[in-house]
Amino acid sequence: LALALSRPRGEDNIISEEEAAQYDRQIRLWGLDAQKRLRGSRVLLVGLRGLGAEVAKNLILAGVKGLTLLDHEQVTEESRRAQFLIPVDADGQNQAQASLERAQLLNPMVEVKVDTDAVESKLDDFFFRFDAVCLTRCSKDLMVRVDQLCASRNIKVFCGDVYGYHGYMFSDLGQEHHYVEEKPKVVKGSNEANDGPEAKKRKVDPNETTMVKKTISFCSLKEALEVDWTNEKAKSSLKRTPADYFLLQVLLKFRTDKGRDPQPDSFAEDSQLLLQIRDDVLETMGLSSELLPNTFVSYCFSEMAPVCAVVGGVLGQEIVKALSQRDAPHRNFFFFDGLKGSGVVDYFGSK
Amino acid sequence: SRVGLRKELADSLSSCRVLVVGAGGIGCELLKNLVLTGFKNIEVIDLDTIDVSNLNRQFLFQKKHVGKSKAQVAKESVLRFCPSANITAYHDSIMNPDYNVEFFRNFQLVMNALDNRAARNHVNRMCLAADIPLIESGTAGYLGQVTVIKKGQTECYECQPKPTQKTFPGCTIRNTPSEPIHCIVWAKYLFNQLFGEEDADQEVSPDTADPEVAWNPADAAARATASNKDGDIKRVSTKEWARSTGYDPVKLFNKLFKDDIMYLLTMDKLWKKRKAPLPLDWTEIHQLESSQEEAFGTGLKDQQVLGVQGYAQLFHRSVETLRSQLIEKGEGAELVWDKDDPPAMDFVTAAANLRMNVFSMNMKSRFDVKSMAGNIIPAIATTNAVIAGLIVLEALKTLNSDFDQCRTIFLNKQPNPRKKLLVPCALDPPNPNCYVCASKPEVTVKLNVHKTIVQALQDKILKEKFGMVAPDVQIEDGKGTILISSEEGETEANNNKFLSDFGIRNGSRLQADDFLQDYTLLVNLIHSEELEKDVEFEVVGDAPDKAPAPSVPEEGKNIANGNKDSAQPSTSSKAAEDDDVLIVDSDEEPSSSTMEASPESSNRKRKHHDADTDATASKRKRLDQQPADDDEDIIALD
Repeated sequence: LALALSRPRGEDNIISEEEAAQYDRQIRLWGLDAQKRLRGSRVLLVGLRGLGAEVAKNLILAGVKGLTLLDHEQVTEESRRAQFLIPVDADGQNQAQASLERAQLLNPMVEVKVDTDAVESKLDDFFFRFDAVCLTRCSKDLMVRVDQLCASRNIKVFCGDVYGYHGYMFSDLGQEHHYVEEKPKVVKGSNEANDGPEAKKRKVDPNETTMVKKTISFCSLKEALEVDWTNEKAKSSLKRTPADYFLLQVLLKFRTDKGRDPQPDSFAEDSQLLLQIRDDVLETMGLSSELLPNTFVSYCFSEMAPVCAVVGGVLGQEIVKALSQRDAPHRNFFFFDGLKGSGVVDYFGSK
Repeated sequence: SRVGLRKELADSLSSCRVLVVGAGGIGCELLKNLVLTGFKNIEVIDLDTIDVSNLNRQFLFQKKHVGKSKAQVAKESVLRFCPSANITAYHDSIMNPDYNVEFFRNFQLVMNALDNRAARNHVNRMCLAADIPLIESGTAGYLGQVTVIKKGQTECYECQPKPTQKTFPGCTIRNTPSEPIHCIVWAKYLFNQLFGEEDADQEVSPDTADPEVAWNPADAAARATASNKDGDIKRVSTKEWARSTGYDPVKLFNKLFKDDIMYLLTMDKLWKKRKAPLPLDWTEIHQLESSQEEAFGTGLKDQQVLGVQGYAQLFHRSVETLRSQLIEKGEGAELVWDKDDPPAMDFVTAAANLRMNVFSMNMKSRFDVKSMAGNIIPAIATTNAVIAGLIVLEALKTLNSDFDQCRTIFLNKQPNPRKKLLVPCALDPPNPNCYVCASKPEVTVKLNVHKTIVQALQDKILKEKFGMVAPDVQIEDGKGTILISSEEGETEANNNKFLSDFGIRNGSRLQADDFLQDYTLLVNLIHSEELEKDVEFEVVGDAPDKAPAPSVPEEGKNIANGNKDSAQPSTSSKAAEDDDVLIVDSDEEPSSSTMEASPESSNRKRKHHDADTDATASKRKRLDQQPADDDEDIIALD
């Protein structure tokens, strides 16, 4: 029996036969209650390139109430080839608008909307109408601002990007995120006289489970990106820190400085700049450039489709988890290295 | 994203030809990734058609496509966003002999997106025969796995024995069920006995040959009385008896849930340490106060658990419906059980629950019964999306022949103690004793030559166990006597003869060939009269069918299977069930035990569980967790 953590946001509490049939295989995984919470949730998705399209697909298939696709950019040949929602004759159209039809067809039961404004131009209260916000291809400043705005209102915040073979996602689920985990029910042992040590062993009934309520807290994006590496504790944890964290800092700085991501057409110039930024960023943090060897520049240009699929899958599932309030969320970064095939979850921020 | 790749790689992508086997959960995601990455020439094959339950994840399909060919619709959908892709779709089984070694040789790479072991075994052999790299994968719930198979360099799919489908002993099903699954298996057998193809291995009546029951003269008399009531259990088949009563639901009910139970009660040795079953009586049930049928309110109707009366009514209704179906089909008709056929599902739900009630078990909703009876493995889009992304990344390495860069990668539900959600492991070299990819593979099989018929050798041993599709068998007796020919009809006369009729005895050797798979297996036979009850043969050197011992950590290697060979004990053999699955543990719901190659193990498969934080730990062996290493998670690399 599910413990009601908060009333499901669904306007009506009944699952239709159509939904039951379509969502059958996922209801069998995460349960009816989780599905209802999803069905009452509205999500804002910013950025409809490779990663954005993957997240859009995953959320629409999952059956959220509404998904708003926000993107101010226009379709180019390059952007069209990066994702599967935009039709071939859509060059020049708005990216979100061009993605709408195929996105909607993925699941007619979801309200898919389009917003062609630049996210920077949106006022605070625009974000308040959503239960979760997912930002891709956004500047660091924008992400920090939106995160600050939303987390205190219990709006779940997610960020993610793909740079060549690398990708990351970040989440801020607020100071108090409540969720449940399904655990097997513990049953009392039998009353046999000569149980001996057996009596101490807790028996588990494989056929019955119980829901355990949990709470977890997250720090802000600002805190996560402004870790102080000069203190001893941080320094000693460096060895176990994925280099991807520093790569992310470098790429966010590049994006801020150049207003775009590294592009293959400007490989020579951009690689130079990346190395320079790497030196600057790590120096500012009081760290050695060796943490991020030069080779990184070869592998962070343009979005690779399979990397978008992996990061979009993990990110999509985290959004589903947060909205359905079921299962422990990853806290608070996920880094994927497509060269190694490694995917790590790590925490950055105040403990 | 082709611009993100080096030019040579990008060029080879445009020219190479790849084969995708399966267009379901993984297949749809994979096709999309391949095309967006720049692969141009893709062939995709799938024998299945689209079902509404696929639509939560097989995103290339819409509701209007239900009933159509998956391969065909997948191709059309992909062409919409990439018209320049050159895609060929086959609505067919990959095991069709048309797809011979020559066919496979057309491709530089094969990627499986399957849901059953038979097909995986077959494709494994075809790729070995054609010497083409194969990328294997599987998913179940939140878990997934990818690996690369390259002849001579890595393990093949069959190098490590996989746990076979769990089956229950006949006496558990027929006499002493202790879990709901036993009752569900019984109900499916009952369906076949009454309405479908009768199978000698699917008896439902009380088993007097149960070794636990010790007969003495006093018992025999009681037995005789009980069995005379409505037809002698031993002499008349269940179907014949049912026919003789015109499939009367009330008579059926009383026989199955009252008379047969009372018969079981006479076998009192069974109930010395077990709670005895409580028979039901139709009339008595309906005299009870009818328990309130809850309005199903905000839940799924199927998730309600009814009371005994409810299931008795359901039993009655479904028997009448199935009876009509039989009549409609005419003389000698047989129904095939299908979880998506409502009366068939109703029947199993009702019969299983009534039996559960008899044996004092908590009854289960139709929703839960359907999961177990239908071997349904839950599935979502995101797991498939991640795995399909990993497949393409491995594919890029194989095109460069960078096999030492290739990995087995496991997707967990939660990060392991070393923070890894995706765990790459180095690939193992081939097993020199593999019965498939070794140079002259041999196996030793223990059986009773006087009791095993040629048909059983063909179907249960060579096909089911050793994955052959169309075996040819000759005896190594100096004369090359042909026992089985893959040509239809040629050796039909041999089918029901015993092996010993051909002079086969202890120590005999058989040469089994599958021409299509280019596979020869030498089978050494050991004659034994001491096999366990219900066991027809044993492969010497196999791990037992129970949950693997702690020292045999095979779970990590199990990409395999699919819900068609699910973790749950097999309750169906033929009917097509669900799609893409991965089984990690052999006897419980997909749990996220993960395997990581430890730095010390080089050629031995000593792997360590990295226990995750998820539940269901009770049945799994929790091995000691590895101390947190720094970064050496891959053998001798990095």
